[in-house]
Amino acid sequence: MMKFGISAAIAAIATLLAVLPAQAQGASSKLDEVLARGHLVMGTGSTNAPWHFKSADDKLQGFDIDMGRIIAKALFGDPDKIEFVNQSSDARIPNITTNKVDVVCQFMTVTGERAQQIAFTIPYYREGVGLMLKAGGKYADYAALKAAGSSATISVLQNVYAESMVHAALPDAKVDQYESVDLIYQALNSGRSDAAATDQSSLAWYMTQNPGHYKDAGYGWNPQTYACGVKRGDQDWLNFVNTALHEAMTGVEFDTYSKSFKTWFGKDLPPPQIGFPVEYK
Amino acid sequence: MDIADFLNQLWLARTPLLKGLGMTVSISFLSIAVGTALGVFVGLALTYGYRPMRWLVRGYTDFIRGTPVLVLVLASYYVLSTIGVDLGPFEAGILALSLFCSSHVGELVRGALQSLPGGQTEAAKAIGLSFAQTFAYVLGPQALRRALPAWVNTAAEMVKASTLLSIIGVSELLLRTQEVISRTFLSLEFYFFAGFLYFAINYGIERFGRYVERKTALPA
Repeated sequence: MMKFGISAAIAAIATLLAVLPAQAQGASSKLDEVLARGHLVMGTGSTNAPWHFKSADDKLQGFDIDMGRIIAKALFGDPDKIEFVNQSSDARIPNITTNKVDVVCQFMTVTGERAQQIAFTIPYYREGVGLMLKAGGKYADYAALKAAGSSATISVLQNVYAESMVHAALPDAKVDQYESVDLIYQALNSGRSDAAATDQSSLAWYMTQNPGHYKDAGYGWNPQTYACGVKRGDQDWLNFVNTALHEAMTGVEFDTYSKSFKTWFGKDLPPPQIGFPVEYK
Repeated sequence: MDIADFLNQLWLARTPLLKGLGMTVSISFLSIAVGTALGVFVGLALTYGYRPMRWLVRGYTDFIRGTPVLVLVLASYYVLSTIGVDLGPFEAGILALSLFCSSHVGELVRGALQSLPGGQTEAAKAIGLSFAQTFAYVLGPQALRRALPAWVNTAAEMVKASTLLSIIGVSELLLRTQEVISRTFLSLEFYFFAGFLYFAINYGIERFGRYVERKTALPA
């Protein structure tokens, strides 16, 4: 997700930083540094529900925030020993490479280009585009929308790729682009569109907020992997964060992870199968 | 969208928005104050400095003025930390905005001073005033009068430039507004409200400028 067209400026600075001599790497890992400091410093944002956003009483919350607390709990046995550094999406990679943060969990899509600059942890969510319908509306599901062809209108966030993104799933649908997320939902509510297409996590959050009014069309495409990021070249620290996330999805912290999943995405996760580890299925 | 719904959400969000407003006012006030103080020296150096000094300061103003504020903000936050100066987002932001402000104020002080007739300085010299006295009693007050309208302009620019600090995570008014929008989905309403607050700050600066203009006006 890109909010500002300033990645070019950041990229220029990142390049500049890359040519500066790398700071001498001590023998010890970031893991020891964090343990000695007594709290984790995590970079994340504050303006994207349900990932990282402020509650009405001004506290940071969301799925990314919960991932950070899981790592903090693994480090100190206390999910509150964490300091959040507020950063824009464009600052995710520079803040890692300049050591401003220990780890970044900020709905960061894993790409080959980014993996050359930072080290990605194991994934903690798979994002994709979905379609949201009004409950009891004209179209029941994805198949009905597809069958409707050009008579179905889809509201979507304004973007260079918006048209082709929708057409990948609904080749003939009419695409209406809007400036902001509230407007695509408004279009659906007022009947100007038949379905709203955006990130499934956003849809899931919106449906959790307004139970009974909407339904998922039951089709997802455009997969993207979300993972946390750490600085390259510190395998110990990367292993530690990986372990914390892995055990949250399959082991001792599964209840924390699934509770968070239920809160932000409204779905119950089946517990991992007991016995032979699910990883080798 | 429902106006009652918006007012309700606005009331719920009053604390973060007020904090953001306070932050924006502090950033603007600090950077305008530091930038103006620094800018007066820049202007003096540009007008009366010895040649090497003038070249140096000329290089400084041209470089800072010719760089986008955003680049200055990013540079003070990221580049300085690589040479061991690890500023927090707030400090880095104030530094960047103050430097930018000083280059603008320096130029408008130079313009104001150079527009004064040379006879003023000569007369001051003739009655035996030192350079500091000449500036404080003769040139300064007259230059202030000429520079004031342009200064109000620069100050308003600084208030608007303070929004760029949201990129490095300073919780000023724009970032606070975006945080509220991500929870309430009322984007148009809250952006409009933030726009109104920025206008109110700048209107305050304009009134302040007018007040000083009145106070320093020559009796007709």
